[in-house]
Amino acid sequence: MLDFEFLIDTFFVALSGVPVAILVTVVALLIAMPIGFLLAMTRINKIPVLNQIAKIYVSFVRGTPIIIQIFVLYSFLPIVINMFFEKYNIDYPVYDIHPIWYAFVIFSFNTAAVLIEVFRSALSTVDKGQLEAAHSVGLTTAQAYRRVIIPQALVSALPNLCTATVNLIKATSLGYAISLQEITLRAKVEANFGYNYLEAYIDIFIVYLILCILVEQLFKYWEKRLSRYKVASA
Amino acid sequence: MLEIKDIHKSFGNNEILKGVDLTIDKGDVVVILGPSGSGKTTLLRCINFLERADKGTAKFGELEVDLKNASKREVLEVRKKTAFVFQNYNLFNNKTALENVMEGLVIARKVPKDEAREIAKKALDKVGLSEKYDSYPSQLSGGQQQRVGIARAVALNPDIILFDEPTSALDPELVGEVLNTMKEIANEGTTMLVVTHEMGFARDVANKVIFMDGGVIVEEGSPHDIFVTPKEERTKRFLRRVLPGSFDYEI
Repeated sequence: MLDFEFLIDTFFVALSGVPVAILVTVVALLIAMPIGFLLAMTRINKIPVLNQIAKIYVSFVRGTPIIIQIFVLYSFLPIVINMFFEKYNIDYPVYDIHPIWYAFVIFSFNTAAVLIEVFRSALSTVDKGQLEAAHSVGLTTAQAYRRVIIPQALVSALPNLCTATVNLIKATSLGYAISLQEITLRAKVEANFGYNYLEAYIDIFIVYLILCILVEQLFKYWEKRLSRYKVASA
Repeated sequence: MLEIKDIHKSFGNNEILKGVDLTIDKGDVVVILGPSGSGKTTLLRCINFLERADKGTAKFGELEVDLKNASKREVLEVRKKTAFVFQNYNLFNNKTALENVMEGLVIARKVPKDEAREIAKKALDKVGLSEKYDSYPSQLSGGQQQRVGIARAVALNPDIILFDEPTSALDPELVGEVLNTMKEIANEGTTMLVVTHEMGFARDVANKVIFMDGGVIVEEGSPHDIFVTPKEERTKRFLRRVLPGSFDYEI
């Protein structure tokens, strides 16, 4: 029934897409975290205009499927880039841009919106007395955030941050739509030769499962380390 | 040493402070009494810029600041001259007792780490917590947490320590240890401005008692003046309500 040889061979093909999936995930997180944090701050402090923009941004991203966001941005970005290139006389064929660059933009755009809400709820779990106490001993607001508030907020953010990261890893499978050579596309291409789709899908399934479980364990370990100060609060 | 003039503060349409003047000399222990909502806590918070006053000036020795329009730099200057002990302790939850005390020294006052650690240890020893250097706030009782809060203030060696109802959040049996710590610090000559409902502390430790009501200072004087020979009707009424042994009704 199943072609086991193909199953095993394709498993390693799928595995070879892991670095791309991880690269996209890490870059998207690195770009989305500061944006998400700053916009979360504008929402918490109700900064006019920016607060509204952040709100609309979150609604847009939450209210549309990622695959549609990918299609829209993937069709829209080349036009913008082309205009930009023409204006500054840069002689580079837009359609030669590697799809991974689009993946970085699309997944950062999507993840930043998720992280706004993650950070917003996490920051609101830290009592405002912590900031007052930091001020009272002479710390500036920036110092207070760095040394007291963010370390505490991070602990309550971690479970949601883990969910966001795992969702992001899984969402990179949609990269096949922009011909990004990640896990799903590589395995599917293998399957195209002999119509062994079932085997290929099982491989993809297992690779994502392993990857996501590893990430979960990593977050669990991190959470345990960061919440050492809560030892006796049970 | 500290001279405050004409503080006003409103929250929305609610005027909490309606012009308060206050002078505190070095070594004074000043206790502010008054019913809740009388503006005691707000007064304290305005002095340390935890709230921005709508009007008023404060003079800390040489440093004179406008309580409404002080610049960021002036605010930091004032905070270096003051320390605050909070009703809810507000210890940094992610830091040990020792780190809590060191934080302001190392980060705000740029004291070298080793020196700061020695100062912090001495401060914790003083409040009787030499065993608890490495405990996190979640491992300490309320009374112990508040004593760390006091150590954190003392270690900064400020011109004045502001206490905002330091015992109000404590279980009754833990109030004593905190009051004793405060008493010891007062006896060492620390200048203190204390908002409290502990009449015993006011009577025994303070050298000046202020009675506030409705956003103004109604009466001020020595503990004897206020507790034994109050002049104002509002003061008398308040004391009758809070002092034990002076019930004007029978059960």
